[in-house]
This record gives sequence, structure tokens and C-alpha cells, in this order.
Amino acid sequence: MKGKSTLASLVVLLALVALLPFSVIHADGHCEFADEAIKIGGLVPLSAPGSVAGGVAMSWAFNRAVDDINADCGVQIGGQNHRLQIVIGDSEGSPERGQAVVERFILEDEVHAVSGVYHSAVGLATMGILDANGIPTVFSEPWNDNVSANGIMEYDGRPPRNADGVDHIFRISPASSMVGGVVVDWLLAEGVDNVVIIAENTDYGQPAAADEKARFEAAGATVTQINVELGTEDFVPILSRIQASATVPDVVRILVTGETSYNLTQQMAELGIAPTVDTICVTNQFAFQSEQYWENVPDGNYCTFNRVGIIPSLFSDIAVGLNADYFEEFEDIIPSFAMASYDALHILADGMERAGTISDGAAIVAAIETTDLELSQGRYYFNYGNHNDSMPADDGMPDYFWHQWPDPVVTMMQYFEQGQSSLDAAVIFPEVYQTHGTGYMAPGEMP
Amino acid sequence: MGLFSRFERAIDDGIGRRKLGYALLALVIVFFLWFPNDTSQSNYAKTVFISGFFYAIMSSSWALLAGIAGQFSFGHMAFMGIGAYVAGLIARDGLMFATLGIAITPDSISSIGAIVIGTVVAGLVGLVIGWLLLRLRAAYLALFTIAFSELFRIAMLTEYDYTGGSNGLSLRPLLQVADVDTARQIEYYLMFGLLIACLLVMYRVVQSPIGMFLRAMREDEDAASALGVNVVRYKILVFVFTSMIVGLAGAIFYSDVGSERIIPEQLEVLQMSLIIAYAVIGGMESLFGAAAGAFISRYLLEAMREVVITLPFGLTMADGSDAFVWETGAWRFALFGLVMVFTLRYMRNGLLYPIFNWFSGRDLIMKETVAKRKPDEHDMALPEDRDE
Repeated sequence: MKGKSTLASLVVLLALVALLPFSVIHADGHCEFADEAIKIGGLVPLSAPGSVAGGVAMSWAFNRAVDDINADCGVQIGGQNHRLQIVIGDSEGSPERGQAVVERFILEDEVHAVSGVYHSAVGLATMGILDANGIPTVFSEPWNDNVSANGIMEYDGRPPRNADGVDHIFRISPASSMVGGVVVDWLLAEGVDNVVIIAENTDYGQPAAADEKARFEAAGATVTQINVELGTEDFVPILSRIQASATVPDVVRILVTGETSYNLTQQMAELGIAPTVDTICVTNQFAFQSEQYWENVPDGNYCTFNRVGIIPSLFSDIAVGLNADYFEEFEDIIPSFAMASYDALHILADGMERAGTISDGAAIVAAIETTDLELSQGRYYFNYGNHNDSMPADDGMPDYFWHQWPDPVVTMMQYFEQGQSSLDAAVIFPEVYQTHGTGYMAPGEMP
Repeated sequence: MGLFSRFERAIDDGIGRRKLGYALLALVIVFFLWFPNDTSQSNYAKTVFISGFFYAIMSSSWALLAGIAGQFSFGHMAFMGIGAYVAGLIARDGLMFATLGIAITPDSISSIGAIVIGTVVAGLVGLVIGWLLLRLRAAYLALFTIAFSELFRIAMLTEYDYTGGSNGLSLRPLLQVADVDTARQIEYYLMFGLLIACLLVMYRVVQSPIGMFLRAMREDEDAASALGVNVVRYKILVFVFTSMIVGLAGAIFYSDVGSERIIPEQLEVLQMSLIIAYAVIGGMESLFGAAAGAFISRYLLEAMREVVITLPFGLTMADGSDAFVWETGAWRFALFGLVMVFTLRYMRNGLLYPIFNWFSGRDLIMKETVAKRKPDEHDMALPEDRDE
């Protein structure tokens, strides 16, 4: 009998312990929050065919931003602290799903703003719905030029979003043309004239190759383009064609991703095609993952590569903290889209705070247009919006600069020591970001 | 006698199972017709239903092709894509047959015209593929259609100048209705109407002699051929027919009815496997089973993105909310896979098969047939007595 009552007491005790997490706790220590929380929809890919790894990193960054903002008593409006709440939606990388999730955000979750989007197709499909419903949006990863350009120019038969005087869409990731432009600008500054582009036969490689080829040719350079299939392991026949050509190329530009880019770069270096004194090697940004790079490309010293996003040597205190937490979670350097997602939530919170409202989309947009914030990727501001009488074209800028953060960091980096960490690699272009006081180093040279 | 048996007896003695089934079907249709008028439902719910209708067309037409005709194809999403891409490209760029003196300009063609052309082209490609498939069976047919599907997807991906690559192709909107609520209501009825029309046409085919030939082909192609079924003709016919159905569905769905753009990733084999999974779960030998399986699966996959458990006794979470949100989004496809495994192991005719079977009264016929074949106890006990 005694045993039974002891057991019953134990069960009750365990039940009470289990209920502890649900106990009534409302205030977060030093902060008193208003009843109404600010809901922000985070649209990210979390299932195939979307890029799940990208979506997971972005979700992590959103949650980290929410924690930081709430720890700082949330968003202060009218003397009240509003808690920030992120509602994550899985776009699956599909426009159809993206549209449905955005509708759910607006109609069911009743979000006050939206951020995220990894795939450009999802951004292009959802931007019209978000704008029509007056939802302030800061995209943190889609690259397609038209995501921001559609603010002031027609796209796919859709009128400019700003035709009614308010465009609710902003972007802080780079436009495709901004990324392609950096590589070509640098190579042209190096005086290259004879260019070989090796591009993968995918939607990444082909448009990028076409864009860079057009830029080189516009500058009078000669371009030879060779297309390869992803997954190819033996590139000797292709590389032999380069070796057999009458003129030695000034640069071999590799627009191939993943393991294939490592194979190609290693075989190119082994054959003595590039990097050499005469030929610059520009490999893919995957080279930034230095451990994998040196494991697969032991002869790839003095190869250059582009990097989208701020470089570790230029990390601010915010970025250092963010990167440390990210490394603890994923054992990798934080990618630009995670930093941008973190920053996007701060931009939205700041816009609401300065506008003094969480529901007046037009007022929040007007506040975001005049953003001046120092965050993990640098100083955020928008040159072109309704706060500025000039349009991008008035200043000779492309249309995609509308509601576009003009300074996403896109740099050229170079290894100059065998087995070097990408944290120590030299940033060689643009000059303003150079870390070792030098531009391109030919094989054998040191900073 | 069990409660269910008494219920069965009451139905059999009264209205009859088949009539009850029709009554329930009518109720379901009435529900779907009424649903957009429910003011408590947002446009998001209608969007989920529109997507469900689209996938119901995809799965039921695949059930006709694979489950009834036995042509196990992986090319269904590709034919859908052909319909959508052709409709989009024609409406945007036009088409010119210089030798025939035919010129279709973007201004001269309507959205409906572009959709019709997309459907016809899907059928024509289906004709070519069907002709090529004449001698292929089972695994070879599946492999061929996978290859074709990938070929088409890669073509759409790499010809980005025309197709937009992975940024997708935006089709000309079919409806030009300014009011979003009205537009969504029309889109809902349009897609629902298309589903009903497709199901009725396919059902008519299945119930006709052609349906019998298709089933005969599925069971034994050689035997069917020996008995006079023109296997070649019906193979091509079913391929063209289902290609046109999915081509039409794709062209309409992506004309801003369900989505404003189509991307090559939508044509991946993974997406095709979902269509197959919906059909298997619903019942791949039944058009209505496959359609219902697709609709219910799509709805549940959407609903299972997160599960909200409201806390009892006035309890709250640390953030003050009275509900615990269980993020099941990442797990929902795993759960879906489990259902698929269960279905394949224990209910190969689909989870809905017993229900359709019951309403159709086929289970009674089966019971009767089995009972007749079984020797009764008297026969078993006294075989000699039978001679007397």
C-alpha cells in the first residue's frame, strides 16, 4: 500500500516538473512587452527542390536576429516595446509554393513585414503579391536584376511597382550584374586581352558566362568559351585544346561549381596552364572553403576567386559575434545570405521604429528608404527610392539600383601560400578592400 | 452482430451502397462548390485547394496511364511542362511557319489560344513518344520516360534566353480581374471545373470498350494482342490522351491561376515521384482514388507544416502564448514516406480502395464469389454421402 502511494506521489511530482516549461512567464527580465507582437514572415527554402542548406542558414539567422532584438526590448513604438516574432515559411524553392506561403503569411499569419527568399524565381513570383498587399519586404538573397528593377521598370508584362507611388520591395543581396561586373572589371584593370571561360552547362554557368563574355567583348577582349558538364572528372581533353592554341590566354576563368570546379582547377594547374606568370587562374568562389580546396587542389596556389559577402578580415564586432555563433552551430564560416537575413530583420525593425508604426506599410517603406544602419555586412542605405528625386538612370546607373543596397561586398581574393586558410588569403580587388596592400600576385611573388 | 455489420445491413436493405455513395459524392461536390463562398476562409485556403485540384488532375491522369493501361511512365511532369512552356512562349514571342505562311504574333493570340496550342503540342509530343515506346515495356519504358523528362528539363534550364532558366517563365495571365478576391474565386472554380471535366472524360474512357482494352493490355499485353486488341493503337492513344490532359492542366495552372511562373525544377523526377506517390496512396487503379489521394495528400502536406497544440488549464508558454507550436515542416515528407511504405506493404490498392469498394458493392460480389468457391462443412465432413 505504501509502495503504491509513493509511486503516485512520484508520478504527480514528475507531471509537475514536466509542466514547468509551460508556467506563466510573460516578461523577459528587464523588458515589459506590449500585447501585440510584430510578426515577420521569413520565406526560405526548407525542402527540395529548394536549396535546403541555404534555407536552414537563413532561418538560423532570422532566429538569431529576433533573439538579439527582443533581448534589447524589441521594437519601441509609441513608448511601448513590441516583441518581434519570426514566422518561417518553406518556399521549397518553387514559385508556386512561394506564392502560397506568402498568401498564408499575409492572410492567416497576418505578418507585418517579410524577409528572406533564396531563389530568384521565388522572389520574382512573390514580389507582386507582397507589394500589392502593402507588406514592407527586404529580400536577403535573390540576385536577379529584375527583383529590384521592377520597382521602376516593366518586367514580364507587369507594370513598375512604384507606379502607385509606393514600392514595398527592397533588396540587400547583390544583383547578378553587380557580381559579374567585379570579376570583369578587375581582369580588365589587369590588362587581360585573351580570355578563356570554362562554364558549366547549367543555369548558373551559362548566364554568368554570357554576361561576362559580353562585358569582355564590349571592352575589346577576345573570349573563347568552353562548356563542360557538371560531374566531369577528366578535363585533360578540354585543357589540351587550350594548350594547343596558338596564343597563350591571359586568364582562364572557371564558372563551374562544387567538386567539379576543384577537379578542373587541379588538372589545369597540374598541366601548367594556370596559374602561371602569363596566365591568371580565376576559379570559382567555392575555393573560399579552404580546407576542401587544398584537399582537392594541392597545386592551386596563386589562384584567385571571387567572394560574395564581407570577408572575415573585415568583420565588424557584430559580424564576429554572428560568425562565432554560426561556426558553433554549423562548423563553417557564415555565408553572406545568413548575414544578410540577420541584417534584413534589423532594417525592418529600425524602419518600423522610425516610422512609429507596425502596420502602415507606406510609412515603413518611407523610413526604410532613409535607412542608415551599421550592421554585420556594413553600412546599409538606399540611394534610389521616393526619398530621392533622381532616378538611377539620371545618374547613369542601371535600373536595378532602385531600392537596392548599393554596397554588397563582392571581392577578388587570392591564395599566396600553399595550404593557406581563406581567412588569411589576400583580398586583391577592389582596392578599397585590399588586406595585404597589394593587387594580383604572379606565382612566386609575395605581398 | 457487430455495429458495422448492422449498419451495412441497414444500408443494403435501404438506400443501397451505390446510391449512398452517389449521395456522398454529391455532398462532396456541393462542399467544393460552396467552399469559396465561406467568408471565414481566406484566399490562402482557396490557393491550397487550387493546387490540390491541379495535382488531382496530374495523379488521376497518371493513374489512367499507369494504373489502368499499365504504361509506367515518368514523363508526366514533362508533358505538363510542355503545355505550360509552349503556351507561355507562344503568348510572349509568337510563332511563325514561314513555309506555310502562318504567323502567330503575341498580339494576335489570346491566352486561351496559347493554352490550346500548348495542349496540342503536348499531345503531338505524346504522339511521337508513344510511337517510340511501342516496343518498350516495364523498366525500359520507365527509363525512357525518365530520360525524356530530364532532357526536357535540362533544355528548359539551359535555354535561359528563351525560357528564363531557373528564374522561370512567366505565362500570360489567363484572367484579367482586378479584384483579388473575385479573381481567386474564379480561379478556384476554373480549376475545380477542369478537374471534374477531366475526371468525367477519363471515366467515360475507362468505362468504354477502350477501357477494357487498356486493362487487358495491362494484365497481359501479348494475350490482349492475341485476342485482337490493337495494342499499338491503344498505347499511343492513351499516351496522347493523358499528355493532352496534363498539358492543358499545366498551361492553365501556370497562367497565373495557381502560379504566375513555371520553373524547370518543377519538372524534376522528384516532383514526378510525388505524383506517383499521391496516386499510389489514393489507389492507382482508380481515377477517383488517385484524384482524392492527391488532393488529400496536398492538403495534409500543407496543413502539416506546423502543428499547433493549444495548452489546457490556462497554461501559457514562456513567451505568453497559450499554444505550443510543433514545427513539423521538415518532417512532413518523412511522415508522407511512412504512409507510402504502409500503403505499399499492406494496402496495395491504395488507402481509399476499401471505401470505394464498399460503396460500389464490389466487396459483396467478392464475398459471394469466394463463398461459392469454398466447399461447405457438409461436403468436407461426409464426402461419401454426396453419392447417395
